[in-house]
Amino acid sequence: MKGDEKKLPPPSDIPHPHFGVLYTRNNVLTDEFLFNSINREGKSMGQNRRKHFFINKPLQIRFMLAVIIPLFLINLVALAGLYFGIWSKILETFSNEQTLNDLVTASRMVEYEQARHPDANQDFSSLSFFKQTEKLSLRQREVFKGILDETNRSLFWKFSLLLFFLAWGTIFISHKIAGPLFRFSKAFNEVEKGDYRSRVTLRKLDEGHPVAQEFNEAMEKTDRLLSNLKALTQEKDAPQAVAKIKEKLSTVQTSANV
Amino acid sequence: MFKRLTCFFLVFFLLFSLPCATLLAFEPSPEDRALLNKIEKDTLQYFTRFSDKMTGLTKDSSRAGSPSSVAATGFALAAYAIGGSRGWIAQDYAYARILTTLQTLRHKAAHEKGIFYHFLDTKTGNRVWGSEASSIDTAFAVAGALLAARYYPGTEIEKLAREIYERADWKWMMNNSDFICMGWTPESKFLPYYWDSYNELMLLVALAIGSPTFPVPPNAWERWLRPEGDYNNHKIIYASTGSLFTYQFSHAYIDFRKLDDRGINFFENSREASLANREYSMSFSGQYKGYSESSWGLSASVGPGGYRAYGGKPGGGFQDGTIAPYATLSSIVFTPEFSTKAARFFYDSYQKELYGNFGFKDAFNLDKQWWASEYLGIDQGITLLMLENYLNDELVWKKFMELPAIKKWIELTGLRTRSASIAKN
Repeated sequence: MKGDEKKLPPPSDIPHPHFGVLYTRNNVLTDEFLFNSINREGKSMGQNRRKHFFINKPLQIRFMLAVIIPLFLINLVALAGLYFGIWSKILETFSNEQTLNDLVTASRMVEYEQARHPDANQDFSSLSFFKQTEKLSLRQREVFKGILDETNRSLFWKFSLLLFFLAWGTIFISHKIAGPLFRFSKAFNEVEKGDYRSRVTLRKLDEGHPVAQEFNEAMEKTDRLLSNLKALTQEKDAPQAVAKIKEKLSTVQTSANV
Repeated sequence: MFKRLTCFFLVFFLLFSLPCATLLAFEPSPEDRALLNKIEKDTLQYFTRFSDKMTGLTKDSSRAGSPSSVAATGFALAAYAIGGSRGWIAQDYAYARILTTLQTLRHKAAHEKGIFYHFLDTKTGNRVWGSEASSIDTAFAVAGALLAARYYPGTEIEKLAREIYERADWKWMMNNSDFICMGWTPESKFLPYYWDSYNELMLLVALAIGSPTFPVPPNAWERWLRPEGDYNNHKIIYASTGSLFTYQFSHAYIDFRKLDDRGINFFENSREASLANREYSMSFSGQYKGYSESSWGLSASVGPGGYRAYGGKPGGGFQDGTIAPYATLSSIVFTPEFSTKAARFFYDSYQKELYGNFGFKDAFNLDKQWWASEYLGIDQGITLLMLENYLNDELVWKKFMELPAIKKWIELTGLRTRSASIAKN
């Protein structure tokens, strides 16, 4: 076994930070460990391809809906805005009644000009019809511009409102993930400091309840094991205590199985 | 010496007393006065009905699809103030409507250097129909605002009216010429037409000279042409169209009775023009059924063939049997008896066809059996203001003549004042 032992490379050469603690304590590394370690690295770099779209189907569907529904609403508002803002007004503008009103008004506008500029009447009278047509065309351009401007303004406010809701919704949804991640992170920190009483408690609508439950069960088991080991260290009969400790640890798998 | 004295007194008598002496005093009967009051009150309803509730902008015409007119909006401001003071509409309501309208004119209505566009979108105040930034229409809007301010001194109304007036750059509208330009468009800039000859221009020039911010030179008053003409021994400084409204619009606000413009009294000029207009139409009474002693009034109005600048002589004298009752009524300060008789005649004879919820409709033509179905904002406005001057102690004149701008105009132009009272024919 001694011949299989190898000197550790300098800490900077160690690719996996999780095992750094073991190296510094034991300063030895088995071939099996190295093999497993390299094997894991190879998998994570080369073969880490997802074979299934749905890893957590309910979660992914919820997220899909969370994105699709607001986008659908935005499109709906945009289409409705375009339809009611542009097409309905264009249809209204070119209704028989409105067209007739515009024709009369165009004619009236030319007549007003003729009345106000009598000196120019001679030129105007023969070109009256063309002047009226020009006025009507001018009016139509004004109407179109007005419709487009108004629609743009209207859509701008509607989109702004929807984007606000979308941003609010995104924060709300991401909060359901960020919250659990924060609690997990806090729990891991406590474990790192040696507090195995730490548990993760999530809110009702948070994501990750199954993971939290599994984590808590694992922590409870570890906590119980360590509590038992701690209790055994207090026993007066040392050989019996060591035997019991060995028995307790016999089922525990670690990176450095000795 | 005696001859000289006789001549002097004769000339004095002719110059200052003749117009009044030749007129008979006229006091309408209680029934006629009641009718005139009813017409004024009903005419006010045009402005409450055809002004937008949100912007206050008043439609040019009661016809469907009509845009709002800034001149009609000015008349609306005056109409609300009058209606409020007469108790025909609640004071709170009148105040609110005037305030809304002034806020729109101050902050929303399209303008160029304070000169409003002639036609505006009623809902938005945007320029429509490619209309021009119009000096005369702005003058009527400003006049209405300033008059309303006189009815509500020390209020937000007065502040807004002053701001609107002070913003108007009349000097710019002169386009470095001797006269005020009629209009300006973004597309073709200044129009090739100027207010260079007598017509409704006097109010515009008065306000432009009296402006506290962008005054035009005082000699702009002297420069415009005063063409002299004659019809049936009525010597008149006349407008090219001969339309009656040209002799009335400035007089709605300005009391010209006491003003002497180098020998011309424009009040008397309008009286002569009204009489000439009446006599001109009567001269065609054998040709057109509509014309008679009590049925007259040739002025720009809608007619069977569209809007036309009908008028008398001197001037264009274009007529086709169409009579505009608004013009007849708006001469009431000049020809009270004839105008009252005509109003009674129109009302009693043609009430069904010609009179509606908002007073008299714009015009009619008996020969073609044609009756206007619409009211025009500015024609309703001039009717209301002239009736108010006649029926209610010349209140509009009294209030308007107290404006510093008008006093400044009188002072700078050297218009001499003389004592006078309203003509009684």
